[in-house]
Amino acid sequence: MRIRGFFLYRKYSLPAFIIIILLSALILMSLRVKQRKGVDFLDALLIEFCSPFQKVSTSVSKTIQGVFRGYLFLVHLQKENTMLKQRLAELQQENHQMKEMAIANERLQKLLQFREKISSSVIAAEVIGQDPSSWFKSVTINKGEKDGIRKGMAVISHEGVIGQILKTAPDYAIILLITDYNSAIDSIVQRTRAKAIVEGKGENRCQLKYLLRADEVIVGDIVVTSGLGGNFPKGLMVGEIRKVDKRGHGVFQNAELVPSVDLTKLEEVLVITGSSLPLQEEKGKKGKKTK
Amino acid sequence: MRRIVFPLFLGVLFLTLQTTLLRSLPVQRIRPDIVLILTLYLGLSYPLISGGILAFFMGYLMDLFSGNILGLYTFSRPLIFYIAQLFKGRFYLEGFLSQFLFVFLSALVEGLLILILLNGLNPNPLGNLYPLLFTVLLPQSFSTGLITPLLFFLLNKDSLLLSNQKRMGLRERG
Repeated sequence: MRIRGFFLYRKYSLPAFIIIILLSALILMSLRVKQRKGVDFLDALLIEFCSPFQKVSTSVSKTIQGVFRGYLFLVHLQKENTMLKQRLAELQQENHQMKEMAIANERLQKLLQFREKISSSVIAAEVIGQDPSSWFKSVTINKGEKDGIRKGMAVISHEGVIGQILKTAPDYAIILLITDYNSAIDSIVQRTRAKAIVEGKGENRCQLKYLLRADEVIVGDIVVTSGLGGNFPKGLMVGEIRKVDKRGHGVFQNAELVPSVDLTKLEEVLVITGSSLPLQEEKGKKGKKTK
Repeated sequence: MRRIVFPLFLGVLFLTLQTTLLRSLPVQRIRPDIVLILTLYLGLSYPLISGGILAFFMGYLMDLFSGNILGLYTFSRPLIFYIAQLFKGRFYLEGFLSQFLFVFLSALVEGLLILILLNGLNPNPLGNLYPLLFTVLLPQSFSTGLITPLLFFLLNKDSLLLSNQKRMGLRERG
């Protein structure tokens, strides 16, 4: 009897386990769909655990890239003229470092000038990791709740809008980029003041939705934030219209937008801490986040 | 303990590489999903229970560091793991081509599953994601398949990991 019971246990325990695992994933998914958030404590804990690895890996990869650019390619030529080439490599390395410093300086100066220009209080952060999947667009930064960063805060650079804070941990945060299909920003076309919603389209592209057919827009028009919603200050550049499509029927026309910021090469960002949506308001939100 | 901690650590390491080094590749579309390769490897060599938990955890990590709000990988990764379990011992997966095809097809299946779930769970239609099937999913799956034999070889070489798993697999299966 006991043996039979054991075999029955073996027979059903494994399929039951598979069902439990998949069911718990589905429950987690439904929780996220309903509340637009996960298990906050566990999420923060795991981000805190994994992000230092990303930080180290990013700095290692930057160093390796620097060494490759400045020195390793020249090792090859050293065989021909060791002394001269070595000196050249050293000089080039120095030159490269100085150039890198100059570029970083210029970039940070622009960021600083821009920071002084905007009235809201902002926090500068460094990008330490990118999205592991190709379907979604997000980046990890080295600032978190301890620095005053909260969910829903706007993230910008001197070139324009980058996205908004999606998840936070004490020392790190994850930004949802404007190119992600989940992102939506209330915007206006600078020249005609036509209102529209900028939605992510993946692959460094966005689309303008709910742009009235009657509104005149042309390729090259600049799109800026409308300031509605409170997260993004009014007038920040979102991007430039690349394609306008008036074919088809309906009230709206389609337009494609290229973000003003190259989101594939993000290094430093500014998080606007001045104004953010209260958490209660976020909880109640369903569907796409419209800022 | 080590047979659980080691793949966990390996998962974190692979995720770190995927979010940093592999993201800085010059060609944006060729970004192999090495966490998926590890999940499939576990599917072929790990027992059902411990491997399932590991796959669940890796999916959770993927969701955590991506812009994905819905937690789709937490569901898809254990599912892919169990699909790999079905293949275990039934197909010859030692050669380059078979390993490539196995992972390439698995990556495609997962991509399609994610697309279906995204469309099903979102209140608004996501028509603009369909072109990504050809521009992103195909190249990514292809590059993932291409580096699979190398990663499988390296993971196989780690005799500690494999022998422990095999031993554990036998024990769990009774």
